[in-house]
Amino acid sequence: MGEVILTMKEIDKSFPGVHALDHVNLEVRKGEVLALMGENGAGKSTLMKVLTGIYTKDSGTITYEGKEVEFSNTREAQEAGIVIVHQELNMLGHLTVAQNIFIGREFKKGIRIDDKKMNEEAQKLFDRMNIDINPKERMSNLTVGKQQMCEIAKAISHDAKVIIFDEPSAALTETEIQELFKIIRDLREKNLGIVYISHRMDEIKVITDRVTVMRDGTYVGTLITKDSTKDDIINMMVGRVIYEDPKTESMVPKDAPVVLKVDKLNAGKMVQDVSFELRKGEILGFSGLMGAGRTETARALFGADPIDSGDIYINGKKVTINNPQDAVKNGIGYLSEDRKRFGIVVQKSVAENTTMATLEEYMSGIFIDKKKEKEVAQKYVESLATKTPDVDQLVVNLSGGNQQKVVIAKWLTRDCDILIFDEPTRGIDVGAKSEIYKLMNQLAADGKAIIMISSEMTEILRMSDRIIVMCEGKKTGELDISEATQENIMNLATREIE
Amino acid sequence: MANKKMKTAGQKSIIDRMGGQKVIVILVVIILFIFFCALSPNFRKYTTFVSILDYSYYISLMAIGVAFPLMTAGVDLSIGTGLVCYSLVGGWLIVFQGWPTWAGILASIVFGMAMGVVNGCLVALMDLPPFLATLCTSMITRGLGSIISGGFGISWPAAAAEGGWFRNIFKIQRNGLNIPIGFLWIILIVIIMSFVLNHTKIGRYTLAIGSNKEATKLSGVNVKFYHILAYVISGFFAGLAAISYSAIFATVQPGSGAGFELEAIGGAIIGGVSMSGGFGSISGTLAGVFVICLLKTGLPFIGLTANWQQIITGLVLIAAVLVDILKRKSEN
Amino acid sequence: MKKKVLAVLLCGCMAAGLIAGCGSKKDEAPKEDTKTADEGSDAEGDKGGENGYHFEVVVKSFQSSYWQAAVKGIEQAEEELGVTADTTGPNNESDIADQVQMLTSAIGKSPDGIALAACDQNSVLEALQTALDKKIPVVCFDSGVPDAPEGSVYATVVTNNGQAGSIAAEKIYESVKDKIAKADKPVRVGEVNQDATSANITERGMGFVNKFIELAEADGKKVAVVGNDYYVGKVEKNNDEKSADIIIEIAVPAQTTVELCATEASNIMNKDDTIAIFGSNQVSAEGVLTANQNLNVLGSDPEKNIIAAGFDAGSTIKAAVADGTLLGAVTQSPLMQGKLSIETLTKICNGEEVEDIETEGYWYDSTNMDDPQISPNLYD
Repeated sequence: MGEVILTMKEIDKSFPGVHALDHVNLEVRKGEVLALMGENGAGKSTLMKVLTGIYTKDSGTITYEGKEVEFSNTREAQEAGIVIVHQELNMLGHLTVAQNIFIGREFKKGIRIDDKKMNEEAQKLFDRMNIDINPKERMSNLTVGKQQMCEIAKAISHDAKVIIFDEPSAALTETEIQELFKIIRDLREKNLGIVYISHRMDEIKVITDRVTVMRDGTYVGTLITKDSTKDDIINMMVGRVIYEDPKTESMVPKDAPVVLKVDKLNAGKMVQDVSFELRKGEILGFSGLMGAGRTETARALFGADPIDSGDIYINGKKVTINNPQDAVKNGIGYLSEDRKRFGIVVQKSVAENTTMATLEEYMSGIFIDKKKEKEVAQKYVESLATKTPDVDQLVVNLSGGNQQKVVIAKWLTRDCDILIFDEPTRGIDVGAKSEIYKLMNQLAADGKAIIMISSEMTEILRMSDRIIVMCEGKKTGELDISEATQENIMNLATREIE
Repeated sequence: MANKKMKTAGQKSIIDRMGGQKVIVILVVIILFIFFCALSPNFRKYTTFVSILDYSYYISLMAIGVAFPLMTAGVDLSIGTGLVCYSLVGGWLIVFQGWPTWAGILASIVFGMAMGVVNGCLVALMDLPPFLATLCTSMITRGLGSIISGGFGISWPAAAAEGGWFRNIFKIQRNGLNIPIGFLWIILIVIIMSFVLNHTKIGRYTLAIGSNKEATKLSGVNVKFYHILAYVISGFFAGLAAISYSAIFATVQPGSGAGFELEAIGGAIIGGVSMSGGFGSISGTLAGVFVICLLKTGLPFIGLTANWQQIITGLVLIAAVLVDILKRKSEN
Repeated sequence: MKKKVLAVLLCGCMAAGLIAGCGSKKDEAPKEDTKTADEGSDAEGDKGGENGYHFEVVVKSFQSSYWQAAVKGIEQAEEELGVTADTTGPNNESDIADQVQMLTSAIGKSPDGIALAACDQNSVLEALQTALDKKIPVVCFDSGVPDAPEGSVYATVVTNNGQAGSIAAEKIYESVKDKIAKADKPVRVGEVNQDATSANITERGMGFVNKFIELAEADGKKVAVVGNDYYVGKVEKNNDEKSADIIIEIAVPAQTTVELCATEASNIMNKDDTIAIFGSNQVSAEGVLTANQNLNVLGSDPEKNIIAAGFDAGSTIKAAVADGTLLGAVTQSPLMQGKLSIETLTKICNGEEVEDIETEGYWYDSTNMDDPQISPNLYD
């Protein structure tokens, strides 16, 4: 364990009406990976923003390399060697990899930008990191995982001494995560201090040395990772016991009626001859790597993207779905993987989002009956235990888990029989995650049929009654939960890849 | 929404600004008014107030209409030349084809709505950028207007003439005094459209499309229909504006009208309609229009020459757009 | 289903737009062409073709009634001289490129001469060079082309805008002369000009101002000109506003809309010392009338009312002249210009010497509106 490179002591920060950080401590050492954990809203991001000068602290001290510092912007922090790799990638899709990495500090040859030198330097970086990316490639052509690598390369190229990873794995597949871990270990070897922010308990165990836990803006404590259990950490985070029962066998009776039958569905390159059945009360897991065509299948099924061919039967009757309206009419609800883009209207209220799919039911004449609308929204806020001051709250102010609950409420008001959950717990903290799981199980028990697309293996194994695995637009296998293991799922998920 | 207790910092500022901007704009209107009254004795006259109202109707109507495309994060640039085109169509039917006045009025409005359908389809069905689509239709309406009118100005029937009754919609004379009753209609329309915006599906979905079109679509809303509808509303109001323009001014000249839309859009934005969509207020829009109208009338009255008038109007618009941008920044 | 209906509707609209758009551009002009050509050949046939010259005429905007009056003049000349002429022109005065194309194809027909009312002074230069190379004589009317290649333009027929403006000054002065003489404090005369950039408008505006000063000084009055800097700067001997007997206030709106002209006009008409006002083109004259809707100060009695004069025609101005709201207005003579252009071309073909012609502006009021000399120029 190396020497301390960065100490944040008694950091205090208030916003109007919110005490965001209440005397928080943090210590980063050279050559170690420190996990920073806490539910959404616990103050992790605020703390990092204080560190990198985006916010000014109200009180407390930051000591970096033995000197007290206070950065007034990210650039200053970068120059000092503290860099954040953001959860949302800040990449310019039109530019090349090298251009992105050196943006703002381009090499010049006279007044001309020296692209050749930038490419060379980028190549050197990648060589050092041992990853295979062409610096001349356009950023938009890379996978999310590769883009993340570029972001890390950019951080390293700043001569960073402390790198903060803000939920880096949220958009990555298992293999990409493994690659990321390799790089992080590498950086640790090179004696860098690393802060790793994540919700994923498994990753914390694998990659980090110590865990600092925050809750509601306060510092809870720090543990040595290898000496503590998952439950220890979770208990510190939420102060309550978490719902964690993996499924071992299907809960669905063998004779449950088939609610949805999809026969040889084709939609573009990403959905080829996909066929499956969905039974009443079943949670059907869709597993696979990023870009396997799972989301595309869901979108085609929901009418969001055009279908080329194939038949869809609902309760035994053939239906035509040309657009989302048709799907909704047929009782299908879709919870998108990208809530902010496709799921909710963030600048509108909880009530308005809840009734978005069923506004007809809250009309008196041509006017919206706002009272009734609020009553219904309130009902779902209560039954789903959504944490919001009131139904007039703008959704943008809710945490990820609560936003997801608003989307679920939207489809429950519609009384949909078939619900498609696309990455239902992405970016949601552990406490809320288990609530979402409980809710999904409850819905299935009530007779809804659920399709769940997930890239988290543990989630697939915990929730599904049956698992469909896809690879490169094709269905490569179907497993009952009783026979499913991480290994055989991975095997199917990579079947088409040489 | 604004009266609720708000807990987080980010939210408060948005709500504050929304309510805040409307209040600020109304204050600006009052201040401008007092300012011009103090500086120019002639501005204080009743006849001047009537004139200001007279010249405000068509911009107000256009602004109320264009607020809808703006709130879907689009824009409608065709309303300016459109207004002139619809007015020429109606006038031509009345003056040269012998249609009764009411039929001409109806034709203007229907023509406006038809152009709205075209704009809406280009934007919502064919995915043309609204700026481009409506810029093109603004050229088309300009050309169409000239063709229909044969290139020369058309005067709708004069107040005293047969079929001139429509001029009394906006202004009546009692005891030799001009009473600008058009303003009452504008207020009524503002009330109705505020209601449409805040209490009907049309308004709800217009704002939802502006905030997040994709999420709205995936909720099973017929997004295309409501997207088109926003442009039809804009076209409808351009048609109404054409009537008010024909009623107040003597002759409608083909080839004119370009630039009217900017005053209307400027008014809407000053009044708090977000250029990036999702937010807006009809009453704020009316207040915003009056900022522009007061400047247009007041500046000549205090003796400023043309060039200075343009500079000051430009500065005011920059200020308004800046407010919108700052608002957006605070939202992110 | 809805989608399909909408799509069909859209296609319909677009198709209609296309047909209307292209149709009129491509069809209409030639249609008119053939009409005039037919009439021309008829005339030719009837009169046996005295000399049989054929001319091409390109006007600024074929459709406006102002230019239709010019066409009437051209037709009169055709009949009287036994020549033929084809007239074309773009839809709008701003369709500069269209006009250049029409001019080029007119040259391509190798007529005996071309009469041109150029939308833009510079864009026609190349075509005029071609005409010169092909030895086709050109006569410009309505607007001159100052930079035309030496020898290409044989003569120019234009309105004398200064003279046209001065007529309005004469008539207004005549009407308010007594009031000025009796006045014990300075009086104000307004002038609303649409812009301070186009040659026609500025010449007219200055024509009015200079004539008014001349007449007033002849009666021993001192005149001060105030308002728009451009116009004030062009006055040769300006007096101080404080010591003057007559103040001429010149207003120019920020944009050329009726509404802004009206605002400028009402600003002047609101002042207590204002006795007269002149709107120097159709838009600004209508602005004066629009302002009067609310102010109601215009009329024919100089003691009680403000005296107003306009320019050009249009039904609103004509009605206001007829009922005495306007003292009168000045009209140009497109008819005369059209006729003179053809006459000049004929002279050129006959080898006669020609020179530039300036046509006059004519004053019209309720008494002479229906004169055969005047009425053809008064469009609706």
